[in-house]
Amino acid sequence: MQRLKYCLLFLVITSALSYGQDSSKTVNERNITEIQDAVSGINETIAEMKTTLDALKKIKLSGYVQSQFTSTNGAGGYDGVKTSGPTAVGNFSGGALGKDVSSRFLVRRGRLKAVYKNDLTQYVMQIDVTQSGVSIKDMYLSVKEPWLKTFALTAGVFDRPFGFEISYSSSSREAPERTRMYQTLFPGERELGMKLEVIPTEQMGFLSLFNFKFGVFNGTGPTTHDVDNRKDVIGRLGIGLQFQEQNVALDAGVSVYSGSVRSNTKYVYEKINELDSTSTNNGKYFDRSYIGIDAQLYADFLPFGGSSIRAELISGQQPGTKDDNRSPSALLTGDMYVRNFLGYYAALIQNIGLSHQLVVRYDEFHPNSDNSSKNIGAPGSNMGLGDLAYKTIGIGWVYHYDENVKFVAYYDMISNDEISPITTNTAYRPYIKDVKDDIFTFRIQYKF
Amino acid sequence: MKNVAIILLLAAVILGFSGPTETITVKGSDTMVILAQRWAELYMQKNPGVVIQVTGGGSGTGISGLINGTTDICNASRPMKPSEKSKLKQRYNSLGVEIKTAKDGLSIYVNEKNPVQEFSLAQLRGIYTGKITNWKEIGGPDQRIILYGRENNSGTYVYFRDNVMMGDDYSSTMQSMPGTAAVVNAVAKDEFGIGYGGAAYGKGIREAKVKVDEKSPAYAPTEENVKSGNYPIARYLYLYVRSRPSGAIKDYIDWILSPEGQSIVKKVGYFPVR
Repeated sequence: MQRLKYCLLFLVITSALSYGQDSSKTVNERNITEIQDAVSGINETIAEMKTTLDALKKIKLSGYVQSQFTSTNGAGGYDGVKTSGPTAVGNFSGGALGKDVSSRFLVRRGRLKAVYKNDLTQYVMQIDVTQSGVSIKDMYLSVKEPWLKTFALTAGVFDRPFGFEISYSSSSREAPERTRMYQTLFPGERELGMKLEVIPTEQMGFLSLFNFKFGVFNGTGPTTHDVDNRKDVIGRLGIGLQFQEQNVALDAGVSVYSGSVRSNTKYVYEKINELDSTSTNNGKYFDRSYIGIDAQLYADFLPFGGSSIRAELISGQQPGTKDDNRSPSALLTGDMYVRNFLGYYAALIQNIGLSHQLVVRYDEFHPNSDNSSKNIGAPGSNMGLGDLAYKTIGIGWVYHYDENVKFVAYYDMISNDEISPITTNTAYRPYIKDVKDDIFTFRIQYKF
Repeated sequence: MKNVAIILLLAAVILGFSGPTETITVKGSDTMVILAQRWAELYMQKNPGVVIQVTGGGSGTGISGLINGTTDICNASRPMKPSEKSKLKQRYNSLGVEIKTAKDGLSIYVNEKNPVQEFSLAQLRGIYTGKITNWKEIGGPDQRIILYGRENNSGTYVYFRDNVMMGDDYSSTMQSMPGTAAVVNAVAKDEFGIGYGGAAYGKGIREAKVKVDEKSPAYAPTEENVKSGNYPIARYLYLYVRSRPSGAIKDYIDWILSPEGQSIVKKVGYFPVR
């Protein structure tokens, strides 16, 4: 009986244990299935999020703001004299200074750029937001062919493919402004048109040293409608040489601008400002043509760091008015002055350690290379302030506080040629000597 | 009290004479992160005045760090792109100095159970562009090929795309993994998976042989085959610095290229360049 009791007890315990094991096994299997289901769910969520994230990765937002204080050594840039001629400081440093005003705070540039980039196509929009309002800087699309990935077509408003200084971003440039030559010939830097770009890939060997840009444009600047049926052609052939072991690089290029400007009077002053009043001049097109060369040399200057020397020279013919030699963005209303010009600059930029840069830049611009500025205002001379030559020496210091913020302190010493001292034109009188228009800029930039 | 003053004085003198600590930051390639850590550990043991901080993140991240000034040295498993050199030129007036430190056979990982032993470059291109989707098309079982690869900030991702896929785009079905170890792990668990990465990470899976085309012999990514150039997808592993190196950075790079530094390369599983 006792044995039977033990046997029954044994059977109960073993069957209970067996049931427990089976039950625990079932629970474990159920748990595993639940975890597997949960992991599958997470994987599906991640896959869905990845699709969204991949789409978002194609959108890139960037921008920068340049806030600055500027001060000149002459009020209004004219020794306090109000004139009607082209301003010496204002137009070349972010807008004219008011009469008797010699210093100001300014948001020089407030850029916001949006890019949507697929592998071979992209959409780009850039606006500029400052105290003067909102304006469009870039608005273009570009398409690259899928076979060689070498040819790209761009259409819209974008940088003119000429020289080096236009395409060198204002956020990267060490000097606060582009040279007088560039601001005169290419105001706004950008233009409406279409461009073909040929940039051979590294796999193409020797050819990859070269690049070529060629475009057709309205010729009236970035924000105005075309005013005639002629289109302007701009192109640049560039070469880039790299000597990796020596850490030396040389980039160079030749650029050509071939365009025209229509005269809307019969009075045209050509080259040495001789009047041509043939009646057929009214409606006739006069060449706006430039040729330019540029070179940039990069090398280590130890123990300080990298340094670069950049230089450009542009020569050609520029139609304008008597007192203004800037490229026109609208139909000319007065008599046309067609001048041969010459401009050039050289700049040295020296990095010092990780955070500091020193800059020295010299530039000259002779809007009338056939005549001396001394004849401006002289009796019998047809020359105007549009013929006035300038020399500028700029010295600056750049401090990169971090990857976003940089400080720039820069001093431009601007010298105009002296014009005829016997001029009676009150607008010209200030230029019988060097106008006090040196300008100091202290700028803080935030870039992201 | 007098003793305390003497001890404090001695401590001040000793501390005063001990040189300042040099810190070198190294950032970049995940493929190189173990190698870079080994170099740093040994170098710091021998040079107590130098602190080397190593982080990964991918070659693209390292190059961005070099451009942004957040790292002294960048590890990269691919050469710098022209656009990256251009950014460096803009900011530092320098192309960046490239130093080849090791050679790596880019391995093709398959699961140990997978019967496929070798691939031609055309097959790999077909697989990763999504034109070949089933193992049976290349002599394997009738199963879908599961693609594992790297994220686009990885130098390995760029190198594979440029040199194996000839610039074509990856198939949208490829699963992007955050590091080579993750690729290896995924392929080890997935019988029908395929992945790519550095030779040093090839543990727990099988590294397939690779041939230039159908007529060529296939080679495994061994030291002999990588050095002889027979293995078709071998690459250099680079260090980049902004300017020609000087001071502590130069000493460190010189040591990496010394026999001692190059012996670490071999221990980690890559192939020395000197």
